[in-house]
Amino acid sequence: MEIKKVYGADTLTQKAKSLFKYERSKKRLDGWFLIKEIENECEEKYKAYDEETKKAYILKEVVSRIPLEISEHNVFVGTQDDAFAKSYALINPSFKVEEFSGYCDPTAVFGDIEPNEEFTKERIEKTREVYAKTPYVTELSAVYEKVESDTKEVAYFIEQVTGHLIPDFRPALKYGIDKLKETAAEPMKISLDSILILAERYKELAKTQLESASEQRKAELELIIETLDKVPHGPATNLFEAIQFFILLWQVMCIEQSPNPFAFSVGNADRIFEPYRNGLDRDTAAALLKHFLVFFNVADRSWAISQNIIISGRDVDGNDLTNETSYALLDAYYDMNMPQPILSVKFHKNTPDKVYSELGRFFFSPGILTPSVFNDDALFEALKNNGTDEQDLPDISIAGCQEPLIMGKDNGNTTNSWLNLGKILELTLNGGESLLTGEKLADLTPAKLENIREEFYKNVELFASRMANAANGASSALSNLKVPFLSCFMGGLESGIDVRDTKRQGTKYNGSGCLIHGVSVIADSFIAIDKLLAERPEDADKLIPALKNNFVGYEELQNFLLSCNKFGNNLADVDAEATQIVNKVSDIVSAQKNYLGNSFRPDFATPSTHLLYGYWVGATPDGRKAREMLGYGLDPLFGEATNGMGFRMLSALKLPYERMVGGYASHLGIDPKYFRGETYEDKGLEFKEKIINPLFFSSKDKVAPFYLYVNVTTPETLRKVQANPKKYAPSGVYIMRIHGTFVNFLDLSPAIQDDIIKRLDLKSTALEA
Amino acid sequence: MSDTVKIFQKGFNYSQDGPGNRLVYHLSGCNFACKWCSNPEGMEQKNYKEYTVKEIVEECISCTPMFFSGGGVTFTGGEATMQFDALLTLLKELKQNGINTAIETNGSHKRLVELLPYIDHLIMDFKHYDTVIHKEWIGVGNEQVKNSFSMLSSIKRKVLIRIPIINGFNNSPEGFVEFFKKYNTDNMEFELLSYHEYGKEKWEKPYQITNGFVSREDIKKFQQLFKENNLKLINT
Repeated sequence: MEIKKVYGADTLTQKAKSLFKYERSKKRLDGWFLIKEIENECEEKYKAYDEETKKAYILKEVVSRIPLEISEHNVFVGTQDDAFAKSYALINPSFKVEEFSGYCDPTAVFGDIEPNEEFTKERIEKTREVYAKTPYVTELSAVYEKVESDTKEVAYFIEQVTGHLIPDFRPALKYGIDKLKETAAEPMKISLDSILILAERYKELAKTQLESASEQRKAELELIIETLDKVPHGPATNLFEAIQFFILLWQVMCIEQSPNPFAFSVGNADRIFEPYRNGLDRDTAAALLKHFLVFFNVADRSWAISQNIIISGRDVDGNDLTNETSYALLDAYYDMNMPQPILSVKFHKNTPDKVYSELGRFFFSPGILTPSVFNDDALFEALKNNGTDEQDLPDISIAGCQEPLIMGKDNGNTTNSWLNLGKILELTLNGGESLLTGEKLADLTPAKLENIREEFYKNVELFASRMANAANGASSALSNLKVPFLSCFMGGLESGIDVRDTKRQGTKYNGSGCLIHGVSVIADSFIAIDKLLAERPEDADKLIPALKNNFVGYEELQNFLLSCNKFGNNLADVDAEATQIVNKVSDIVSAQKNYLGNSFRPDFATPSTHLLYGYWVGATPDGRKAREMLGYGLDPLFGEATNGMGFRMLSALKLPYERMVGGYASHLGIDPKYFRGETYEDKGLEFKEKIINPLFFSSKDKVAPFYLYVNVTTPETLRKVQANPKKYAPSGVYIMRIHGTFVNFLDLSPAIQDDIIKRLDLKSTALEA
Repeated sequence: MSDTVKIFQKGFNYSQDGPGNRLVYHLSGCNFACKWCSNPEGMEQKNYKEYTVKEIVEECISCTPMFFSGGGVTFTGGEATMQFDALLTLLKELKQNGINTAIETNGSHKRLVELLPYIDHLIMDFKHYDTVIHKEWIGVGNEQVKNSFSMLSSIKRKVLIRIPIINGFNNSPEGFVEFFKKYNTDNMEFELLSYHEYGKEKWEKPYQITNGFVSREDIKKFQQLFKENNLKLINT
């Protein structure tokens, strides 16, 4: 049946909007809990099998038994609702920075389900108890307990990484599941049956709905049934089938890791779907893709965060790979303007102007989502230097926020470990004793200010090695939870090895991530200590007491420290210091080995953790007060870069991006007044000229910056939205960006709203003096 | 030869002080005392930071990635030519390093011609044609400004002449046009800058202009008369 005989583009769009509205009306997420119950129940039934096979069978049971729904708004069948709980802290209005704990309790999710008549307290507790006794939870708890004194005030933090990968579904779409099964290892083959079962159940459900359906709905249901007759068994032959196939693959993949497999990413959706467009016009393609986008939104607050779709980019020879589906996706994103999934765009020096002009509407419409942007030219260089084969480079995609991985071939274990340089500096200065609580957290002797760098790096090594050890423990605990279905799309079809296997490497590339916090604060602090020693040696002894007292009674000294050179103003000494910090800490982090003997990957990103970890760092020698935020990612500390965009970018251009193979974060809050083009298209081109070209494409003889996200607005505008959301965001959705994800500003806790407003830091980005 | 330069402000600006994205240095001190000055903190040589010429040149070189869209470095003030020797050295050095240069000047320096070989974009103010009124409002006469204008015309130098239009001071075009018509202006462009009060808050001394804003009609008259006389008006 031809799609256009059933739907016009307008009908599809209307249905996508009503589907989104329906999804946002869902207040409860109980599916994950039912899955946990089924899993617990089936443990016994399949205990004779090895873990991998057991998991494959259990997955089949789960998809055979979970309740399914096809609503009247559904053009495609499938949902992610059963894989997520209402957990993600930052979009919870009750979230408070001070309540963050440096301990990751995998059973905490059972607190995210509101008991009611069906899901009674006893029922929840019973399942939680079983879960708490699983090898995964007990091993993980042991790991956390061992490093509690390091993590309680966050010298570092570790976590088991679920989600955060980019499966390669292209072979499935191209050949169909039946074909994939022919060569798959046994557990993988069993797991692939799950998607066939799920499709069959949806088909039967559609058939039962036929009887009572209107003529129009009947045609729509018949299209679903006809499509499910073809996919996922066989290959997709058009865009409708490809999207349906993809949705079911994604659904099973997330169910397998339920609850909360955050930050799975699609990869280059434009390249995945373009082969199936078959000349379908841009409007209709966009309308179908709107349904694809709605699928990534889970319930009232779009709880499945950081699922990323990327478009555009280049091939090995530098040719542009933007296609008609890229533009159709942009249309779909713009018209729907939903909190998920995240949009990323890869630029390179041959990106056509059309891409920039079509992006203008995103950057310059208030409350509309903005893409993260990547520099493919620089990413190619950075990852190639790090050992990625050239032919894999066009498949660079983004897992979660901004971590670059190769689709289907790279297990980056991206958020496995988190290093807080601010806390390590504090413990170095104060002999292992917390400036905040006075507690002795580590067995260190106070460093002499003259030797501060040497002592600091020594301690970074010490903590990094303990961190890596613990992080590997977490990965090992997680490896109890096999993922045969996901593994099929991460090299497991060929290798037969689970992607989480800690003994055998089943995915072509592997590493573990380390998110490094506090570069600008450390650089500013070292420079301030130098100046203090050089110009006021008689006051050097006052520094530690001043820090202990959070500068109370030492205001004059604090002002002196604040007046020293700060990163982000194109000042040679402090910019060089920041560069050295990135280099040295990258050396230390890369020297740590993960469970397979592969390096940890330095990632200078701080996804709101600049706030959370800053809260646990005492006053610092740069004049920053206790518990204040650290710099975001690689950005200058808020308020310290005051000389405008030009100087700020120049500082940023000096950093060694080739070292940041795990990624990095940087944000610019940009005042829209500097862009004077009359149309969105003109403004898009101005954005290229004033922001993208100088940042991404002006570097000579070094690897250029490769990541940026922006919020184009002013604090005044956001204060207005905060005060009067009904007037300024009548739809109830006002999209802003925080780190790699975008969020509905109105869904955020006040602390995070204020962070967004503060970090606009427009003095640091003024384009005109 | 001076090897230091006194600067009271620096920063990037886009297309308003010459083409493209430019690093703009405001040199301290001015020989004029315009009552509408929007950078009054630069009128007297105080509150500046002193740099060596070498430091400025190095900074400019470090900034080259930001000189996009035909940008570069602009020296303004205050009055940039008040620190003539340093300015000359700076311009020479920047040209040697392939950096696009511009200056904004009130045109009152006798040796302006010596700077010209090292300036890519010359922007000169021409505030009033009448010497007496000029002196009354600005504290000094316009003889040298007229000389500079004449010199630039005779050597056919490309220049942007900017006229700040202030109500009650110069808000009718006839006198300007009468003066400009005496010269060959083929290589000149003109820009009208309507009075604004962006710098008013920075004045420490009493701000004397009470009714400086010019009407749209006045501006239209300028535009019309300039057009009729083939004086090329642009907007940057």
